[in-house]
Amino acid sequence: MKISILWKYPVVVRFLFSLLFFVAATAAGLAQVTVKGQVKDDSGGGLPGVSVLVQGTTTGTVTDLDGSYTVSAPQNGTLVFSFIGYVSQEVPVAGKTTINITMLTDVKALSEVVVVGYGTAKKATLTGSVTAVKGTELEKAPAANLSNTLGGRLPGISAVQSSGEPGYDGSAIRIRGTNSLGNSNALIVVDGVPNRSGGLDRINPADIESISVLKDAAAAIYGSRAGNGVILITTKRGKSGKPVLSYDFNQGFAQPTVTPKMSNAEEYATIRNELQIYDNLTVDHWSAANDAFKSTGVYNYKNASGGDASLASVYGPDAMQKYRDGSEPLLYPNTDWYGSVLRNWSPQQRHNLQLSGGSENVRYMTSLGHTNQDGYYINSATGYKQYDLRLNLDAKINKYLSANVGVTLREEFRHFPNGGGAGDIFRMLMRGKPNEIAIWPDGRPGPDIEYGQNPAVITTNTTGFNNDKRDYVQTNAGLELLIPGVEGLKLTATAALDKMMRRQKSFQQPWTLYFWDKQSYEADGVTPLLSGTIRSTFSDPRLTERSSQELSILLSSQLSYEKSVNDHNFNAMVGVQRETVDADGFFAFRRYFISPVVEQLFAGGTAEQNIDNFDLYKRARLSYYGRVGYNFKEKYLAEFLWRVDGSYVFPKEGRFGFFPGISAGWRVSEEDFWRDNVNFLNNVKIRGSWGQMGAEPYFLGTENLAEYQFLSTMGFGSYVINDQVAKTLNETRVANNTFTWEVANNTNIGIEGTLFNDKIAFEFDYFVNNRSKILIPKGGSTPSSAGMDGKLPPVNLGKLQNKGWEFKVSYDDQIDDFRYSVSVNGGYAKNKIKFWDEVPGAPLHQQTTGKPYGSFLVYQYDGVFKDMASIDNEQLDYSEISTNLRPGDMRFKDIGGGGPNKDQPDGKITSDDRVGTEKVARPWFTGGASINLGYKAFDLSIMFQGAFGGLQLVGLTESGDIGNYLKYDYDRRWTIDNPSDVYPRLTNRNNAYYTNTGRAGINNYFLKSNNYVRLKNIELGYNLPSEIGSKVGLSNFRLYVNGLNLLTFAKIKVWDPESTSSNGHYYPQSRIINAGVRVSF
Amino acid sequence: MKLNYKNLLFAGFFAIGLTACKTDFLDVNPPSEIAADQVWTDGALSEAFVTGIYAGLGQGGFSEQMLASLSDEAVFTHTGRDINLVNEGSLSASVLGWVDGTYNWSNMYSRIRATNIAIANLPTATFTNSTLRDRLIGEAYFLRAYYYQQLLRYYGGVPIIHKVYTLDEDYEAGRNTYAECVAAIVNDCDSAAIMLAGKTDVKGRATKLAALTLKSRVLTYAASDLHDVPTMKAKSAELASYSNPEFLGYLSGERAARWNAALSATKEALDASNGGYKLNLTAPVTAEEGKLNYVSIAMAGASGDKSLDASASSELIFAKYYTPDLNEGGRSMGLYNGPNGYHNWAGNTPIGLLVDDYEMNDGTPFSWTNPAHKANPYTNRDPRLYATILYDGADWKPRPSDVNDPANQVQTGAYDILNESGAKVNRYGLDTRQSVVEDWNGSRTGYYMRKFIDPNPELRDQSDRQNIPWPFFRVTELVFNLIEANIELGNDAEALTWLNRIRFRAGMPALKVGGDALKKAYQQERRIELVYEEHRYHDTRRWMIAKETLGRPMLYINVTGRFKAGKSMREPYRYDPTVYDYTYTSVEEKSHENRQWFDKMYFRPFHRDELNRNPSLEQNPGFAN
Repeated sequence: MKISILWKYPVVVRFLFSLLFFVAATAAGLAQVTVKGQVKDDSGGGLPGVSVLVQGTTTGTVTDLDGSYTVSAPQNGTLVFSFIGYVSQEVPVAGKTTINITMLTDVKALSEVVVVGYGTAKKATLTGSVTAVKGTELEKAPAANLSNTLGGRLPGISAVQSSGEPGYDGSAIRIRGTNSLGNSNALIVVDGVPNRSGGLDRINPADIESISVLKDAAAAIYGSRAGNGVILITTKRGKSGKPVLSYDFNQGFAQPTVTPKMSNAEEYATIRNELQIYDNLTVDHWSAANDAFKSTGVYNYKNASGGDASLASVYGPDAMQKYRDGSEPLLYPNTDWYGSVLRNWSPQQRHNLQLSGGSENVRYMTSLGHTNQDGYYINSATGYKQYDLRLNLDAKINKYLSANVGVTLREEFRHFPNGGGAGDIFRMLMRGKPNEIAIWPDGRPGPDIEYGQNPAVITTNTTGFNNDKRDYVQTNAGLELLIPGVEGLKLTATAALDKMMRRQKSFQQPWTLYFWDKQSYEADGVTPLLSGTIRSTFSDPRLTERSSQELSILLSSQLSYEKSVNDHNFNAMVGVQRETVDADGFFAFRRYFISPVVEQLFAGGTAEQNIDNFDLYKRARLSYYGRVGYNFKEKYLAEFLWRVDGSYVFPKEGRFGFFPGISAGWRVSEEDFWRDNVNFLNNVKIRGSWGQMGAEPYFLGTENLAEYQFLSTMGFGSYVINDQVAKTLNETRVANNTFTWEVANNTNIGIEGTLFNDKIAFEFDYFVNNRSKILIPKGGSTPSSAGMDGKLPPVNLGKLQNKGWEFKVSYDDQIDDFRYSVSVNGGYAKNKIKFWDEVPGAPLHQQTTGKPYGSFLVYQYDGVFKDMASIDNEQLDYSEISTNLRPGDMRFKDIGGGGPNKDQPDGKITSDDRVGTEKVARPWFTGGASINLGYKAFDLSIMFQGAFGGLQLVGLTESGDIGNYLKYDYDRRWTIDNPSDVYPRLTNRNNAYYTNTGRAGINNYFLKSNNYVRLKNIELGYNLPSEIGSKVGLSNFRLYVNGLNLLTFAKIKVWDPESTSSNGHYYPQSRIINAGVRVSF
Repeated sequence: MKLNYKNLLFAGFFAIGLTACKTDFLDVNPPSEIAADQVWTDGALSEAFVTGIYAGLGQGGFSEQMLASLSDEAVFTHTGRDINLVNEGSLSASVLGWVDGTYNWSNMYSRIRATNIAIANLPTATFTNSTLRDRLIGEAYFLRAYYYQQLLRYYGGVPIIHKVYTLDEDYEAGRNTYAECVAAIVNDCDSAAIMLAGKTDVKGRATKLAALTLKSRVLTYAASDLHDVPTMKAKSAELASYSNPEFLGYLSGERAARWNAALSATKEALDASNGGYKLNLTAPVTAEEGKLNYVSIAMAGASGDKSLDASASSELIFAKYYTPDLNEGGRSMGLYNGPNGYHNWAGNTPIGLLVDDYEMNDGTPFSWTNPAHKANPYTNRDPRLYATILYDGADWKPRPSDVNDPANQVQTGAYDILNESGAKVNRYGLDTRQSVVEDWNGSRTGYYMRKFIDPNPELRDQSDRQNIPWPFFRVTELVFNLIEANIELGNDAEALTWLNRIRFRAGMPALKVGGDALKKAYQQERRIELVYEEHRYHDTRRWMIAKETLGRPMLYINVTGRFKAGKSMREPYRYDPTVYDYTYTSVEEKSHENRQWFDKMYFRPFHRDELNRNPSLEQNPGFAN
């Protein structure tokens, strides 16, 4: 309006314009133009967030949602377009007012910035072994638990998920295998806070910017806790520009990857009849009894003293026929317990709303998420719900000072039924006899298997509830000050204050099950007359409430400096960090409720009530750390890292430890001779590192920190005196005043580079981790008669070596609209105990020193005694493990027991014939392969993951009169009719030397390879082309389907190969299919 | 610029504040523990420490796997507990078989260490209550003596360790001789008795009487055949060839002197006692009363069944008590051992060898070859049988509501019955391994334990917990020790008087025997009266009768009920001899446990690892390292 008026007065306009130009030109000293344009990615979509800078200035902007920008620039200036993961481009303005460009993905990601300890580093000049993954990658997996998405993505990182139960379905993550006799878990750092309460499991994947893994001396800056490597998680922060609002919705369906196939009613009855023979008759009767059982069901015979005796089968021929034909399903049922209790697909949802944006001075990223994950059970009382909110704010206060604040709120709500844990439920599913009823036709629950536990009931809230709520309030605040007057000098101060509050309410309620005497019917004569009875192991309700809180405070400040002189680039940093953790809690228990309707403590009786503390702990640590880096022309690289750690875990004398790390790199490809002669290999870097890190003591074989081991203290207990519960005191330990840090000497050499114009990228690392002064109790050599069993403190004694290698190769290309990339990675790590306090005197083949940690001590399976003849011909003496060998018994190899060192065969099968395995449960090699394909608006990513070289004890199931057998075992068993020299006779409740774990049950017949390859992750997506989307106001619209653990190829067939259970009593891992939509405005 | 300097100052202060902080905050004290040296400055804390040592008593004998199942009293039903390894003699230095926590090598020495700490620190403790201090010292001496007694009776001579080891000492410790161990234990008992004299008795704590009783037991054991090396060698070639018999018994010396020592210790204890429960009778009580007396003693006043005599708790000298306020495994005896038809687990089930050893109530032996006995094996027996054992047809508590048995009787047989449609079938009882209720938890023997299970009908064993104390020592044991020493010393009359008093209380007639017959009668009486109380395992060994007793194959009972001519019964079944002809067949059973006796079983082996860690420790006879 105004302009149109102005045009009416051309002289004035001209004057005003001239004036404006004059002023502008004077101010800038140059003629300015307004440049507009759009930045697109290589798929043709607008690329938001690209920084557009006028070269040589701090003037610039950031592209908006559809990639558009407007910037004012000198006519003869140059615009620099840059964005992480893309090749930066410099475009001269040259008077143009429209500049449209397409950014190309940076395959080699040379300009990529990687998060490292207390800072970031350019990937190009990195000298340590660091691997990273972007949050967007992880979002492709529909797992509700972040830790389950890491396996197979990063070389050298192994993740083992041993349970799929909602709320407890995390993977144990290790970097480069086992490094210690104590805890080998990686240190997890979330937004700069080590060991942050809650870990990484429950972080909303949509909030994650990147995950970096420091595998070698690069971790040394985390000093004492870095020996097992460090995982750094960085959450997303806002980018300047228009606000972006995006909403994600996922609907997934989960089911167990594998449920064990159990024997059916007829098969189970067959086994029971066989056991009846084995358990009651001497071998000379077996064949005749077997025939008699099949024909009449009763075997009449003469007993040893010549008397008449008779043995009836458990299931007579009539019953067997009924089981076979299923003609009377109530009297002769054939129940599939898993089928009766688990549904085909259990729903899970995730909603995520993200809002980010900001001006040049204030940027924000907020994310609101909700996850809801249901259990596998029909009428499931098991589930996990999460609400999370993240707010990351960055503010530039002035030219020198900037500040950031991060707040995370999260509620984790785990809920379970209260008739037994998942272990009990799956135990009862395994045991459930196929010839018992799970649920009556009218829907009422059938009898229990034991303890009132019928899985159809104890999976539901009929049993009460167990609600576990954990609320996290985690805050970070930081200030960054560029110190005026000293270019490159920066002071950073951060504080993190984390509060965790936990409240658990467990209400147990008696439940009723329905029984049938197998003969009484309702008036109609066909409906079974059921009688209900309370079958829980308690008959009145009980309530336990627990409440605890934890406060963690972390304060740190650091000073950093960067300087470049000619081609010499320096950087240096020093910092200090103080951490404290303080927790306390209590619980209260009451029973004798006035009514089961009131589920509150006040309604309970005071008799037998119980009140106590729990979760009482305090921790404190103080650290100083620093880094010095140098490179020449980014060609010769060197870095020195250090940390001094002080921990409350150690006695005063050994409280502080110094942990240095050095690394160096040489970018061979930057050398002229290379450029001139080797043209297919680009960007080759050779690097090496050595670091000396530490570790705190853990109780052997646990993940529990061995605190206070230098203090002589007494702990509390209870004993009944004078009909009262008296407090008692017990010596907690024999204190050791002189122990100090474990020492991890980790050496790494690596090479990385790209081939054929960066289409192929590769990296290879070889490492040797020598852990010494491992803190272990001297339990092996201390006789029990010293009276100190269980009270021995850690001493710096153990030595373990862990060696291995990793690689990653990827290929990335595009043919017209078809984009594809393939990436393969793998890591091998094998450890060996060099020294620990082993019990003296074991024969060489049983010594654990020289073997990997966790070696199994097993009898060597050598087939099966097919018949009496093979027993009669047996030369070996089995009397120490069995005085009564029978057909179908397992044979073992004679390895030791003879010679002065008991390592020569002695003609006898004894415990000296057990051999320590060279493999352990944890696989040696883990790897993954991923393929990403894109065509126009479609994209497909596929990831395979595998693990090799581990062993798992499988198949020692709780079977017999007490419970059902695996179909696998039914199919592979010695029988009277079909004697085998490979498969042993089935036993009742593992009552044979070769199935009893206290005797020779730990043998390598049951020790199976847990190798597997699985289709871990697949996602197919469709992005609405932006031309269409923008018409309806959408900047992005994506539809996708994805899946997790869709296919598994494994040696262990009976249940999931990642299971660490030998008997199947665990909540299985999930297979998930999922569909989702993402909308951005 | 001004503003920026402010910023700088702000951040600088922050940084300085951090770096300058002292390292004191790293001195963290464990919030749930207290410093060890504080304990001895405070009476209550010192008492708490000494009370803590009692935890080594575990559940007393109320472990799920009772010692009874390692003798000819019972067999353990469930497999995989490695009890059969012990009973079949296939235990070895690397496979020890079942070892309960109450005599486990490591546990005992851990507790002994605690007693040594108390004995070392209490004399210099700084709290002022000297009565308390003396009592605590006395309790510590008693507990040390008790734990050494446990080791001694399972393993023979063991290293006597009276010091408190610190780190990195030479821990090698050879075995002390049997004689030295006895002397050390007796010494501790004497110290305990002195320190505990005149102190108020508190339920659960050691008393002077407990110390005297322990001494009586140890000296009685010490005087026995197994620990007299010449006798031991004469009776066992395996033991005779052992190169260190001094670890197992006395190489020389007068046995009579040892019996005299046992006798005087026993007398001293008995004199100090309250005389026990109804041990002054001059004639047998009725059978009914005999059963009531026996049940009352076992329940020791802790049952809710008001028909029992709570004053029978006067029998107890030292016991492990239970309370509803603390959940402990020992309160689950009913669940562990009761019938599967009550949803219980039938753990330690009596075997026929025990049941058959109960006399007829006229004092004559029971015999399967006697047709009258065979036809009605559970009629007119020693009243204690009815208080100890549940057999087919025995009345028991109300059944759980899902089990149809209005008669509430134990069913361990197979019975004819008319089903709903009126057809005659023969089906197994509710408490068998062919039951419709949890068949895998059925008794193998046809019997169930009753003795230590609270008969209170209100108490549902599958879900409720009982509070019956475990008797480590009761007055009757002292009386038996008195009888045994008297027999060994030839004072038959004195022995017989006391033996009959025990019988009278149980409703059994007086015996009139002497010499060898008296010794046999004594052994029989002790077996019956003290059954399930952790005596039989040791008695059979120290008397060296294990081969003839423990070495026998087990006997189970088969019961069948067939309709008498013209009679029948519809479901639900009840025991009714007017309807049924019951047949009782005692069957020998080897497939569950092939019990055999080898003389190496007299003493438990040491674990191979312990021998390797402590090269001075000599293995027991019959076991290779």
